[in-house]
Amino acid sequence: MCGILGLLTTTGIQPPFETFVAALDRLKLRGPDDAGTWREDGLLLGHRRLTIVDLSQAGHQPMESSDRRFVIVFNGEIYNHAELRPGLTPQNGWRSTSDTETLIEAYRAWGVRCLDRINGMFAFAIWDRTEQTLFVARDRMGVKPLYYSHRSGQFGFASRPGALNMLLADGALVIDPEALRVYLEIGYVPAPLSFHRDMRKLPAGHYLLVNVRGVRRVRYWDFRSIKPDPSMNSRPEGELIEELDALIHSAVKLRLMSDVPLGAFLSGGVDSALVVAAMKSAGVGHPKTFTIAFKEKAFNEGPAAASAAEHLGVDHVHETLDVNSLLDLLPAYIQEYDEPFADSSAFPTMAVARLARRHVKVALSGDGADELFGGYHYYPLIDRLAPMLGWRTASKRAAQQFLKRLPWHRTKLLAGALQSQNTVALFHYLRSVGKDYPTLLSGDLLHSTANSETWFAQYAASFAMDLSAAETAMRLDAGVTLPDLFLQKVDVATMAFSLEARCPMTDYRLAEWAMRLPMHYKLRNGETKYLLKKVLNKYLPASHVYRPKMGFGVPLAQWLRGPLRTWADELIHDDTLMSRVPLDKARVRQLRQQQLAGERESHPLLWSVLMLLCFVQSHDAARALPVIAYREVA
Amino acid sequence: MASRDAAPRVLFLFTEVYANGGIQRFNQTILDACDRLGIRCRVLSLNDSADSTAKRPQGSHSVTGFSSNRGRFVLAVLREVMRDRYDCVLIGHVNFLVLSTMILALRRWHAPRTMLIAHGIEVWSGIGGVRRYAMGRLERILCVSHYTRRRILEQAPALIADRLVIFPNALADTWARVPPVPFSRPLPSRFILSVTRLEPGDRYKGIATVIEAFSMLADESMHYYVVGHGNDLPFLQLVAERCCVKDRVHFVRGVSDSELIALYQKCDAFVLPSGKEGFGIVFLEAMFFGAPVVAAREKGAMDVVRDGETGVTVDFGDVIAVKRAIEKLVRDGELRQRLRSNGRALVTDGGPFTFTCFARRCAEVFGMGETSPA
Repeated sequence: MCGILGLLTTTGIQPPFETFVAALDRLKLRGPDDAGTWREDGLLLGHRRLTIVDLSQAGHQPMESSDRRFVIVFNGEIYNHAELRPGLTPQNGWRSTSDTETLIEAYRAWGVRCLDRINGMFAFAIWDRTEQTLFVARDRMGVKPLYYSHRSGQFGFASRPGALNMLLADGALVIDPEALRVYLEIGYVPAPLSFHRDMRKLPAGHYLLVNVRGVRRVRYWDFRSIKPDPSMNSRPEGELIEELDALIHSAVKLRLMSDVPLGAFLSGGVDSALVVAAMKSAGVGHPKTFTIAFKEKAFNEGPAAASAAEHLGVDHVHETLDVNSLLDLLPAYIQEYDEPFADSSAFPTMAVARLARRHVKVALSGDGADELFGGYHYYPLIDRLAPMLGWRTASKRAAQQFLKRLPWHRTKLLAGALQSQNTVALFHYLRSVGKDYPTLLSGDLLHSTANSETWFAQYAASFAMDLSAAETAMRLDAGVTLPDLFLQKVDVATMAFSLEARCPMTDYRLAEWAMRLPMHYKLRNGETKYLLKKVLNKYLPASHVYRPKMGFGVPLAQWLRGPLRTWADELIHDDTLMSRVPLDKARVRQLRQQQLAGERESHPLLWSVLMLLCFVQSHDAARALPVIAYREVA
Repeated sequence: MASRDAAPRVLFLFTEVYANGGIQRFNQTILDACDRLGIRCRVLSLNDSADSTAKRPQGSHSVTGFSSNRGRFVLAVLREVMRDRYDCVLIGHVNFLVLSTMILALRRWHAPRTMLIAHGIEVWSGIGGVRRYAMGRLERILCVSHYTRRRILEQAPALIADRLVIFPNALADTWARVPPVPFSRPLPSRFILSVTRLEPGDRYKGIATVIEAFSMLADESMHYYVVGHGNDLPFLQLVAERCCVKDRVHFVRGVSDSELIALYQKCDAFVLPSGKEGFGIVFLEAMFFGAPVVAAREKGAMDVVRDGETGVTVDFGDVIAVKRAIEKLVRDGELRQRLRSNGRALVTDGGPFTFTCFARRCAEVFGMGETSPA
């Protein structure tokens, strides 16, 4: 787990090396143990290393291949690298036990097709001196981030957008208008969009080939077209439980590859408990597990985690915090997420990462299981609402009018959901931060950009035929929300404390298996993660497995009315700051008033606005005012 | 040709005849076949306008359009059935099944033979009790593909399976007579082609998938032509823009049949990885004009496009497979030639999807025995 940075120029014009080093320093928390750079004609490569596998200098990067034709910078882990080694023959034998060396030799032997053989989380770049081509790739499920920029004969890439922006634009902020709109609608920026106009985020499962002819982006792995397999219905349920259990064990076992101590996050939920159970089975005697407990009962998963830890027989470490103390993390939150990021569950994630880093350098987490196996509460809801979308307009209107007249906010939201034209639109509505709240964006921006729903529609256009509404939603979550929101959150939150997070549930074999699994093994009679819970029930009693799910949340609405009230009001009433973003000031202030008065649950949208303002504020106003780059409107 | 007196009188109840689309083309072809056989046809078409029907050559059939006026359409159907004795009533859409029940009730004695054409998506789901009852009273259900037949039987297992016959579409006879003309604009040396409707409800056609696959091709001299129109055009243009290929993806509409032939003949591959084709008549057109075909392994298309024989098939939505299929076709001249020749064999010289073969099937269905079409 590291940070990488690179620049390839065909113009002969390069930024000063000091600028490159300064940009590389922005990745220091991702890799505090070592740093390296590589310079040759038109090429600069940089690497910050967090030593996990092969702690010696033999694992130093950038690294050359054995024939010196290729040079690599690599962020991540190739979990099956030991299995690949016997099939590879580096000149003069292996020099290290590092997976980086395995990866570059795999590319030397198999070229682009090496991606089909490796199992891991990764973002890397390999320079081919002979072909003068840069090969840049990101892992299948999008665990590790990679940003790139290509313009004016320069191609740059980095693990963090801030580092790349510093390298290419001297830190000046030019906001991408479409990213801004999408962000304010869904609270994050999905790939390939990036908040910086001339920057893109490499989508999961893609690689780039860069040379003088240009940049070609290619998808090398995709689960979208995998059909649910009806033959699984005829197999005994017990057989499927065993198969899933074996897959999880295999995924976890691969992720135990480490030369440093490792542990796991353990909440009171299903996914992390399964990961820990698999760690135990894989021979980790007493794995260290970490939980943040809160004094406030509504947010406290501490007792459930402790109970799971006791059953599983692990070395459990917990820290009990006052939930408001998480606010100490606000500066780090704003600083480390280089783009506006509106998921407030980043706070507890950062807190548990901070705790874990005091004890270990690597922690396994259960992220990914909800999206693959049907863990979110809105999946059953989508299945129930989807048939209503096909109702005649008059019937839908009548149902909406009825729901709107009921006194509860949730029924009003439901009325809004019925306006959706199809399942994708319904999913988009349920995942949006503003729901039915009128847009806060200015008219110019709305006219020059596309609705964020079109991104989901584009992604869903290649889904297998005849999926149920809930399956459609789950695939959208697995392909868009997971990499660009949840895995992004985990990556940044853990890297902020130089902790490597590994997510066994994102193993591509598990993902492919989950896509084939028929729906009633995911949702059954309103029960979420049906089969996954059956697996966990092998290791934990039913009372733990089937306890109500508790969100990984913070009391955001209360914070914004209490300890964050002044901070939020100052941001919103800062006219200079507000003038830099294309928002309707009056509507933003009205939103704030309604939120303060408790009239509607609008805090997710308000939080998105505040994070945007913080992001803009954090850029040095003296250097350049942020610019919104409007596309030409036809 | 059968003698005029011996030829049956057939009443056709169609949704539409004179428009673009698979069902419409099927309707035109069956009417052409009836003309060829000398079958006396009366056609009532719900969605055609009086104008559209007046302008068309009508051979031995007469078409009346009702401009989507359902009330007038139903009254006309009942009047027609009461006034004239038809040997056969052919129902062109499952939504008209209620009419077949009414006809059989009104004409309890001397009841005409009633048949339904089951095209595709409209019968793959939603066959409830009323429709099952009406289907059970039909003499035959003409299914355009094996998939359609299977889906109906899955929903209505009580139906007598022998009554569901495969009645595939065919290439219209008229294509052989269309004079090819050069495309109105200069064509690039390499391009792939899709021909389809572009409506938001038709995203199962797979055009967004093709655009994404196309954007990944190494050959940047390759272009992509999408012939068709509809309200989803802005979305697809957006997809092309996001995939950075908007300069090489060309959406063209208003293409004449003559121009379309030029596109079929010159393209490197005809790519339509659609997930819900009832039959996929465009595949036959592409094959007739020598375009190697890429299709999805889904539903009705599988009756026409067989992997490695008459085309290359991929899983629906599999962007990577579509990319590889295009690359394979562009690279492998021998494969291209084999697909061309096998594809043409389906639609020429007595192949199963020729108009001659189709007319023979019509003759059998309408009780003209071994009558061989002229």
